[in-house]
Amino acid sequence: MSPRPTVGPRLERVLALVPFLAANPGVTLDEVATRFGVAARELERDLEFLPFCGLPPYSPDRLIDVEITDDGSIRIRFAEYFERPLQLTTDEGFALLSAGRALLAVPGSDPSGPLASALEKLAAVVGSGEGLEVDFAASDLLVPLRDAIARGNCVEIDYYSAGRDASSTRVIEPALVFHAFGHWYLDAYCRVAGDERLFRVDRVLSVRPTGEHFEPAASRSGATTPELGVFHPAASDDRVTLRLLPSADWVIDTYPTESVTREPDGSSVVVLAVSGQVWLERLLLRLGGAAEILDPPEYRGRQATAARRVLARYAVAHE
Amino acid sequence: MIDRLERLTNLVANLLATKRPLTLEEIVELVPGYPTGKAAYRRQFERDKDTLRGIGVPVSLETVHDGGPEIGYRIPPDLYYLPKLDLTKEEQAALHVAVTAVRLDGGEDGIGTARGALRKLGGLQGEAAPVLAALPTLPELAPLFNAYRQRASVTFSFRGKTRQIDPWGILFRHGHWYVIGHDHDRDAPRSFRVDRINDVVLGTPGSFELPQGLDPGSVLRDDPWNFGNEEPLEARVLVDAAAAPTLVAEIGAEHVVERNADGSIVISLSVTNRDAFRSFVLDLLDHAEVLEPAELRADIVDWLESLTTAAQR
Repeated sequence: MSPRPTVGPRLERVLALVPFLAANPGVTLDEVATRFGVAARELERDLEFLPFCGLPPYSPDRLIDVEITDDGSIRIRFAEYFERPLQLTTDEGFALLSAGRALLAVPGSDPSGPLASALEKLAAVVGSGEGLEVDFAASDLLVPLRDAIARGNCVEIDYYSAGRDASSTRVIEPALVFHAFGHWYLDAYCRVAGDERLFRVDRVLSVRPTGEHFEPAASRSGATTPELGVFHPAASDDRVTLRLLPSADWVIDTYPTESVTREPDGSSVVVLAVSGQVWLERLLLRLGGAAEILDPPEYRGRQATAARRVLARYAVAHE
Repeated sequence: MIDRLERLTNLVANLLATKRPLTLEEIVELVPGYPTGKAAYRRQFERDKDTLRGIGVPVSLETVHDGGPEIGYRIPPDLYYLPKLDLTKEEQAALHVAVTAVRLDGGEDGIGTARGALRKLGGLQGEAAPVLAALPTLPELAPLFNAYRQRASVTFSFRGKTRQIDPWGILFRHGHWYVIGHDHDRDAPRSFRVDRINDVVLGTPGSFELPQGLDPGSVLRDDPWNFGNEEPLEARVLVDAAAAPTLVAEIGAEHVVERNADGSIVISLSVTNRDAFRSFVLDLLDHAEVLEPAELRADIVDWLESLTTAAQR
């Protein structure tokens, strides 16, 4: 039989709630519910059992005294041993500091504002000093892009598409910028494509305001949490089957594979969705002899063709 | 449910308020709600103790009297209480924005952890913010962070081998968490990707000191062609106008040594890892050409030629 699993989180909340009430006499039920992110009813249940807690001999002056007035304001007494909250756990300290350092690393954040000073106080308590750093790739375009999003301004961008190895110019309605998997992404409605597109900010070569405004679509007004998984193979993408030697196992860790079969000789047979031919060429050239295309048959010569094209730059005679 | 929460709350109050460790028998006597029968109350207390430790309450086991045989439990107040932070309203609101704008992956758990932390700091002040960034959460981060805070050496398994380091810091860059420190076997600074680390074991706290004026970020060598121990070679690479702007944004303008009229550029790199350098150059396809030294140029040519002949087998 396992212990009831829900008591831990509730106890955690109570141990944070009592010090807060002791430090803020007269605070209202609704205010506390908002602050603690719980329903008012649940909060009342917490407050109902507290008067049964305290120290021996559990006489009225030794039990926690909770008083809720008609206007909903709360006063608490005889809880001096809970006057301060429980220390942060390692997980909690790490979560707060890393989220804070991350936001501070976003271009445009105030390096001497309230977030910075809060993190300094927190680091002193958690004992982290300089040992926790979050570093997002810098980009000069983030500030103008976020500004365009905030004002609902259309922008024209020059964009390099790595999948097609070509640049193009397009007018977009920017909706969101976010950082995931080591890169900044721009989620926007692309007027050329007539659809939503995800752009990598480091491949945006320039941003120019067009002077036009757009009405943000209701479904994308920022109320929805974007799904930050960015590579979703499309059903229409080609599939290739590759045999990979163990030295190329990083491919399996790095790209979403549709299937992986380990062979007795240590090699792996993997199926990958190919979103762009240029992407596949790059991968094949890097992998060299550690990769062999098994299927489809018309792809088998891809590696050699790409190798010849690059070799031509070196003006080396070859078959 | 209510009974257990009540008993646990009383247990925390009693163990915090006591001047000396309380024996199990005393606890059962003082805290209402334990069953009768030694085996039953012992089992119930063990379960309660696990629950308390599970949420981070430091229940310690000590001798009741100095040198005596009896052992008992208490919660040392200096370990329990969060030191006063004196956060202003603005600072609390800024932390709230941070934990909502930066999504800690690991789903509800990651979000729950940050919220739980904010409750201890006085609850959620101000408004939430739209998501701006995602940070992966990994089970090995907390023990590594703990080791760093306590200045404890750690051993862990990395790519199938056991490594021992003095952790100097934890750093998120290029979409990955890294731990940086002094590697005992190599006797040199090294960085390790945390998602490839398993089985972290902490050594004795206080087993090392941080180097003076350390910048953890500088230990993490950014450029893959630099991430090796080979004799350094100065390479010059010609890059087409088409690929130049993105490349410069990626590696930095300090590497550019020539800008040609047609928009092409020549970059200079110090290479200590030839495999990584080759991958870097090949990623540019026919937009790049290694000019010098002859040795590295030949590496690329040999590699590519082996691929054109392989297809003819």
